[in-house]
Amino acid sequence: MIGGLRISRDPRAWIFLGVPSVFLVLLFVLPLVSMIVLSFWRTENYHIIQDWNVDNYYVIATAGAYVTFLIRSLVMAVIVSALCVAIAWPVAYGVIVYGGRYKLLLSLGFAIPFLTGEVLRVIALQGLLGPLGLFNGVLMALGAAPLRFIMYTNFASAIGLVYLYLPIVVTVIYLSLLNFDMRLIDAARIFGAGPFRGFIEVTWPLNLFGTLIGFALCFVPCLSATLVPRFLGGPSGTLYGMALAQQFGESGTWALGAAMGVVLFLLSIAGVLLVFRFVDLRRSGFTGFGRS
Amino acid sequence: MAKGNIARKLQKPALIGTMLICYLFLYLPILHIGLGSVSKNYSFPYPPQLTWATFEKLAENTLYQTALGNSLLIGVLTALLSTLLACLATMGLLRHAGRHTVKFLILFIAPLFVAEVLLGLSSLIFNGLFLQLGGNLFSAILANTVHCFSYALLIIATQLYRYDWRLDDAAMVFGATPLRTFFEVTLPLIWPGLFGAFIVCFIMAFNNLEISFYLLGATPTLPSVAWGALRYGIKPELYALASGVNVVVFLVLGVMFVLMRTGAVRFGHKPERERSAI
Repeated sequence: MIGGLRISRDPRAWIFLGVPSVFLVLLFVLPLVSMIVLSFWRTENYHIIQDWNVDNYYVIATAGAYVTFLIRSLVMAVIVSALCVAIAWPVAYGVIVYGGRYKLLLSLGFAIPFLTGEVLRVIALQGLLGPLGLFNGVLMALGAAPLRFIMYTNFASAIGLVYLYLPIVVTVIYLSLLNFDMRLIDAARIFGAGPFRGFIEVTWPLNLFGTLIGFALCFVPCLSATLVPRFLGGPSGTLYGMALAQQFGESGTWALGAAMGVVLFLLSIAGVLLVFRFVDLRRSGFTGFGRS
Repeated sequence: MAKGNIARKLQKPALIGTMLICYLFLYLPILHIGLGSVSKNYSFPYPPQLTWATFEKLAENTLYQTALGNSLLIGVLTALLSTLLACLATMGLLRHAGRHTVKFLILFIAPLFVAEVLLGLSSLIFNGLFLQLGGNLFSAILANTVHCFSYALLIIATQLYRYDWRLDDAAMVFGATPLRTFFEVTLPLIWPGLFGAFIVCFIMAFNNLEISFYLLGATPTLPSVAWGALRYGIKPELYALASGVNVVVFLVLGVMFVLMRTGAVRFGHKPERERSAI
């Protein structure tokens, strides 16, 4: 793959670009290819049998449960990502405009929870939403009945996913706004544009690229969420990623799981490509990488 | 015109209000379980009855000790490897890729757009089925490196994007070898970016469940032990574990913040682009 590209005559280029490329091809591309290969085989009694067939895909398309999980996951991922972007924009904009010298601290404050790991954050969420959690604890201490809709429902999953991925969306939009020249808004205002028009015609289009990266970085993990539906979603909250992980755990049907993984992979890629169809890179102020 | 004024007056309280609500939403659970972990009445610690018993029990548990060791090992080695590779890749992209920059960039950041669970599972299939490898720490480290590499690349790129490569050329004109140029000119100027990438990768790999879990077999890590315990419901030691890790993460990033604030370390700041005045 690299051999096809004539990079430069400089041998250092081969070290700088070649080593990471070979690493990624061996440990990222090849595993994905092997997942695709496995998805065309079949599993019988926990053994993998190498005869080529498309039964796994047939099962996914016809067994009602997988289609339900998939549609539920897609709807969930779109809603959660849109919600995250809608919340993240005012927050990131607020930090940039009113943050002053505490800008960095405020933005780090958002990034830190993202780093503490999904399991630990799901534990924290159970402390908030669970039957013994903070919300219901407060309600019961006040003598009210506990809220049913935040315990083990799809609504709880949605709150959980927003909680998990809001930090990264805020950080990405914040970085986009940080590189955005705020003086352009002043220019628009001098020429008579109101705050709303200035936002629609200057700020939003010039930060669209960053916004869409944020959307995609939320959409992809939401689509394949395994922990949140398992611990917050309850009996009718099974999402696709959770069903996928079960094929490799309890049920031991690796080939079917691989096919589900391929479907998930293709859907994520399709989602990301669809989102980026909307961007005109020139219009969004993207001037290329490393050529200033 | 009047409409514009109202909008402008509302803008500040609305934006700051949204910010505050979001901080509350993010930190309320963390504070709640933090308080719960040091209280006897852990599920509703208001008012708290302070005790360290949970932390003492946690520290004595040998399973958690082994898990902590494994997680630390995965974290450190993953962070080292991904920072090293990402540094190579960023310099390659900025200096040597020429018109192929976009192609390499797409390959390098592709792991960001593939879900963690898919990275873990596809590596499991590749190792288990095609290489006949059982679960081991080494493949978990490599798979985590794939994931962390892209994050490290982005962090280092923000730092190197504004690096003036003429400094390197100048050093070489005066006869420095490429290696010496790197260690005496480039590295002293870019180390904050590398350090930031190292810290972020370490924390991410340390806390990773979905990639490590499928590649480790029976080897416990802190997240996988926590996951196993969580299946049987919330227990006080889970609160203590989560709070302990949170405190360490906050401390590390707090130290980094102080270094940045005092100017000892700079992460590609561009003050001249700040808004002049309204």
